[in-house]
Amino acid sequence: MSTVDPAIVTTGGHGHADDHGHGHGHHGSFISTYVFSTDHKMIGKQFLITTLLMLMVGGALALGVRWQLAFRWEAMPIFGQLFPAQGGQIPPEFYTMLVTMHASVMIFLVIIPILAGAFGNFLIPLMIGADDMAFPILNMLSYWFMWPAIFCFGASFLSAGYGAAGGWTSYPLLSALPEAAPGSGTAQTWWLFGLTFVGFSSMMGSINYMTTIINMRAPGMTLFRMPLTIWAMFITAILQSFALPVLTAAGFMLVADRMLGTCFFIPSGIVVNDTDPTVGGGQPLLWQHLFWFYSHPAVYIMLLPAMGMVSDMLACMSRKPIFGYKPMVYSMAAIAGLGFIVWGHHMFTSGMNPALGMTFMVSTVMIALPSAVKVFNWIGTMWGGRLVFNTVMLNCIAFVSMFIVGGLSGIFMAAVPVDIYIHDTYFIVAHFHYVLFGATLFGCFAGIVFWFPKMYGRLMNEKLGKLHFFLTFIGFNGTFFPMHLLGVSGMPRRYADPYLHPYLEHLLPMNQFMTCCAILMGFSQFILLFNFFYSRQFGPKCGRNPWNANGLEWTAPSPPGHGNFESVPICHRGPYEYSDPKHSEDFWLQTDPPAKRGEGPATVAAH
Amino acid sequence: MKRFWCLFFMIWPVLALYVCWIAPSMGWWFPFTGPTGMKAASPLGERIDDLFYMILYITTATFVGTQIALGYVLFKGAAATDEGNTEKAWYSHGSHNLEVIWTIVPACVLLFIALYQMDVWAQYRVKDSFPSETKQGAIAEVTARQFEWRIRYPGLGPDGKPLPLMPEPQPTDLYTVNDLHAVVGKAVMIILETQDVQHSFFLPELRVKQDAVPGLDIPVWFKASKSGDYTLLCAELCGWGHYKMKARMVAETEDKYLEFLQNLTKSQNYDGVPETPAEGAPVASAAE
Amino acid sequence: MRSKLVALVLCSGMLFVCGCGRTEPQFSYREGLSPRVQEYVRTTVDEKFGTPHKIRVWDKLPIQAHTALATVGEGSKDNSLVVDISGASRPIEPGTEVVWVGGTIMPRGSAPVTVEAFTKDKNLLSLVAAPPAAPKAGDKIVIGPGQTLTHGRLLYAEHCQHCHGVAGDGQGPTAPYLNVRPRDYRKGLFKFTSTKEGMKAHRSDLARVIEDGIPGTYMPSFKLLKPEESHAIIEYVLFLAMRGESEFQMNNLLASDYSDASVANRIKDGETQEKVIEEFVTRVKEGEIDEEVNQRNEKMIADWVSAQAEDAVIVPKEKRNASDEESIKRGRELYLSGNLNCVACHGESGLGDGVQTYSVTKNTDTGKDNVEPGLYDTWGNKLKPRNLRLGMYRGGRRPIDIYARIEAGIKGTPMPAFGAKLTEQQKWDIVNYVLELPHELRTPGTGVAPASPATKPAPVATTAH
Repeated sequence: MSTVDPAIVTTGGHGHADDHGHGHGHHGSFISTYVFSTDHKMIGKQFLITTLLMLMVGGALALGVRWQLAFRWEAMPIFGQLFPAQGGQIPPEFYTMLVTMHASVMIFLVIIPILAGAFGNFLIPLMIGADDMAFPILNMLSYWFMWPAIFCFGASFLSAGYGAAGGWTSYPLLSALPEAAPGSGTAQTWWLFGLTFVGFSSMMGSINYMTTIINMRAPGMTLFRMPLTIWAMFITAILQSFALPVLTAAGFMLVADRMLGTCFFIPSGIVVNDTDPTVGGGQPLLWQHLFWFYSHPAVYIMLLPAMGMVSDMLACMSRKPIFGYKPMVYSMAAIAGLGFIVWGHHMFTSGMNPALGMTFMVSTVMIALPSAVKVFNWIGTMWGGRLVFNTVMLNCIAFVSMFIVGGLSGIFMAAVPVDIYIHDTYFIVAHFHYVLFGATLFGCFAGIVFWFPKMYGRLMNEKLGKLHFFLTFIGFNGTFFPMHLLGVSGMPRRYADPYLHPYLEHLLPMNQFMTCCAILMGFSQFILLFNFFYSRQFGPKCGRNPWNANGLEWTAPSPPGHGNFESVPICHRGPYEYSDPKHSEDFWLQTDPPAKRGEGPATVAAH
Repeated sequence: MKRFWCLFFMIWPVLALYVCWIAPSMGWWFPFTGPTGMKAASPLGERIDDLFYMILYITTATFVGTQIALGYVLFKGAAATDEGNTEKAWYSHGSHNLEVIWTIVPACVLLFIALYQMDVWAQYRVKDSFPSETKQGAIAEVTARQFEWRIRYPGLGPDGKPLPLMPEPQPTDLYTVNDLHAVVGKAVMIILETQDVQHSFFLPELRVKQDAVPGLDIPVWFKASKSGDYTLLCAELCGWGHYKMKARMVAETEDKYLEFLQNLTKSQNYDGVPETPAEGAPVASAAE
Repeated sequence: MRSKLVALVLCSGMLFVCGCGRTEPQFSYREGLSPRVQEYVRTTVDEKFGTPHKIRVWDKLPIQAHTALATVGEGSKDNSLVVDISGASRPIEPGTEVVWVGGTIMPRGSAPVTVEAFTKDKNLLSLVAAPPAAPKAGDKIVIGPGQTLTHGRLLYAEHCQHCHGVAGDGQGPTAPYLNVRPRDYRKGLFKFTSTKEGMKAHRSDLARVIEDGIPGTYMPSFKLLKPEESHAIIEYVLFLAMRGESEFQMNNLLASDYSDASVANRIKDGETQEKVIEEFVTRVKEGEIDEEVNQRNEKMIADWVSAQAEDAVIVPKEKRNASDEESIKRGRELYLSGNLNCVACHGESGLGDGVQTYSVTKNTDTGKDNVEPGLYDTWGNKLKPRNLRLGMYRGGRRPIDIYARIEAGIKGTPMPAFGAKLTEQQKWDIVNYVLELPHELRTPGTGVAPASPATKPAPVATTAH
């Protein structure tokens, strides 16, 4: 039997009764409690539910892409209804829209907000022992700026051309000249505005996180007693606040090019769609530099928080201290630092100065190093532990296992000569799905299950959780592993019909297999949604610390009331003191005073 | 159940390795429909493949190592919670020595990978290291547009040899679309341009890829090692017809290449009047 | 709450299932007739030409719809035929159906006979099983009935449909975003042809456009299609053009009496809706309309047949004269002359900025003034006269292509045919001038080889000048 059985309410001393309605109470109206709430927990939950819904939207778009790749030009379910005269056959610009909007929704409306917005908001004050964020109103705004973003992306769908279709990278001139493609008209403008709003939202969040983490830690919570989640959030916030202004500026420049007639990115003499030649002395490569200056760090923004969260969960579920806490922190910082000087590796084939290619290659290859250190440390963390194979742990192991693949495939692209061949092929698609889905999303799934008790005071259903994990894992690998092979076979990305080219014809059966797996994976997300909303209402209630974890958040009631803690928690040790032989339990809450050896954490939490 | 999960996490890497192992025989590997089969069709491409395999071996070793470690850890961790096993987990905060080792060793390997690649990159992209044959100038100007490749060759001079390619169109220039011809076994250079948005010149069998950036004229060189038809396509999203930019690169002997240019000259100057004299008596007359 | 959740899941499941409901591609129709009449047009055209999934071709249409036509020759045994292939449009593959024309050999309901193998050099067609009755020499057979068109439809759906539309009306989903709209085949008109003035397009013209694309437009080159693929597409496009024109003619025929507008006028003049319809129904019953429709179809078919004939193609009577300074000068004079008035559209400098581009012009169909000044084509799209200095020739850059433009005009556009006005040498002079225009203003010393024709090297291997 495992040491932690989530079904049993642990942490004796805490009945269910005192988990709700204590001291501070919820006095606000419905609107101020549930809609325009300034409570970080509510904002976190709002972010979480919004992003889960967006996940389904993005997934549906992805299934459209997969359908076309497996059953090209055949009537597409649901989306095909838009083209009745064609018998449900989608036009190719619709396909490029699907590709573009799938990426945009997943990156800007799912991954970034679920990590920083949902988990960042919910966890930071709880884990550092603060009663709320430093700037609660700013925090609320950061959520509500997501909605204009969602609205703008939605408007992009409804504009002529079905939505922005220049790829999520939106390289000019495809994105700069409204005539260049059906999706480059108003749809692209809306897309850019959406991007800007996501930027606002993220910026407000990052400032808030940095301030909160620096200023509002509980007594005794020194920097090196912070859980790795908090470190990750902190580093992410720094990354975001430094990189984002560049993207925002670039976005405004592109909008200006489109609407005000400037020529930042438009060279002269370009004729698109039989228009008059352009005037101007712009340079399309400038956009690529600016875009990737943000978007490469953004890749780490999309990964670091998950790394931090998984470190916490792995330690807890292995009942072991994290292996190499400080190297973990340093490696995250190294990833962030190096993350700023590797953007050029997206442009190896674009006509950048070749000498620069070499420097970017070295820095890019070296960024694999901190990632490798982290993987070794995670395995070290599990080494000799008493592993608990629950949903949380399974998702975490999947994270490590998938991240290894995603990390290793990254080395291929870092090496410029090899990248010449695999650039813009499915190898790239495989790589970033292994990192963003395989790693980040599995980390998020684990995080949802792990902190769900803290959010709603109830546990999620284990059986459904495991089923969801099982199907998702199989579907995921079935969909994305073959993409490596497609990439090596030279199948380019964003092709509505790759089989037009004879050297790719034989890959159709493989793509059909992948589509079946993708459909399996897509539909198994309904299990997650069902489990989430079902457990929220009917899951078994739990106490403060169902997982016997150490962090400060587990000393607060489940769910915590306004202000989180009944009294200011005092932090006495690091967050990973599991299985300390000096202690009777196999976990040791951060708030347990060191003198009272052998006592349960319950009495401490109530002081 | 916990052992099932341990197995579950071990089965997929085995499966993944197996799939990669059989991939070449199943045709899920480098493109094989070209004249050279799965082998790269250019010397530089072969070197790129070598580098690819080198990285593949290193990463496979790492992959196997880490997955075995993960499997071992999982099985051991599962056994630790067996009935009657009450021993606490290993209380360890890490090991300084281990951290140093697994930082330095991968660092060296990675640095080696990076430095080892530079040579090929330089040859491919740095103009000073281009093969000397390309110094004679480009053989054609390839202009990408939505959604085709328009190619401009210099015409043939009075001596029957191609004239130098001028930056601006000349009356003698010859044009084709989606049909690039080059001499086999010789490094040739093209000037890559785009008329509208960004495209990318991709010869998968030769492992050549270069974006065509609006406003830039980019020299690209390649050397086909065997004559035959190669695929040429676009690798950078350029709009709805991105996938339609299907073209070919024909590598042929010098004679055939000249013959191709001659035929092109002939068909481009075709005035629709049926030719009365017997066919096959080309008169290289300058008496116009 | 539980039940609500279950209901929610069920609903979303249903939504997905409903989403899988298949629709079929459909031919679109020109609207504007009164509903009952519209219905008549629809059923008549459908009856004659079928639907995308069930194409009908009548023998009269000059379309190579089948894989091959053949006559059975002497020495044929039961399942091994010696055949004389008369019209093969694609390779004969094993499994292709064989049908006897006439129907005495293959009674209704008998199992189809399929090809086992075809030996091309011996003209030997072996069948999987012998037909019910022994074949005789002189029997006409169809190999792969309708196969070319079916293949063409699939290829068309893959490559062309999203711009040109299911019915070839140039209104696919991508079309609204394209400047220089995709061709609407339904007028039976194609712009760049090698045929004489007023004639329809030759097959080879369609082939050339598919192979080389149209520079400066979104019509890309499909150079690497296999020959039988491009052939199948051409036949299907011809089918769509004929189907479309048949419908177009019917609409024209009925519009004067039964368009929405004329019906409204007639009602205003005292007739009733019922009466108009009644009159229409009687006319249909009496066969008057059908007869007229058939006559127009006959003419349309005859036009297509004559355009495929050998003498339909423009052949210059004299060879192109040398592109020397004299010829170019003469060409320029002709270009500027009031007789031809090229400058009215193409402008004095050949930049495509003649006065016509900002004058009010008349609609060729209705004869009324166009709302916006400028030039329009028959399809109602605004046109820019070609800027002759770009060196971009939509219909091809060979001298013969430009000759054909001058000789027969560009069909469906205001570019007229000058064939009758000019002598052969004059036409060539203009061709020479037009081809010289993009290079005319090259100044020496800009790193560009001087483009004066005197130093131009002679093209190699052009035969006999």
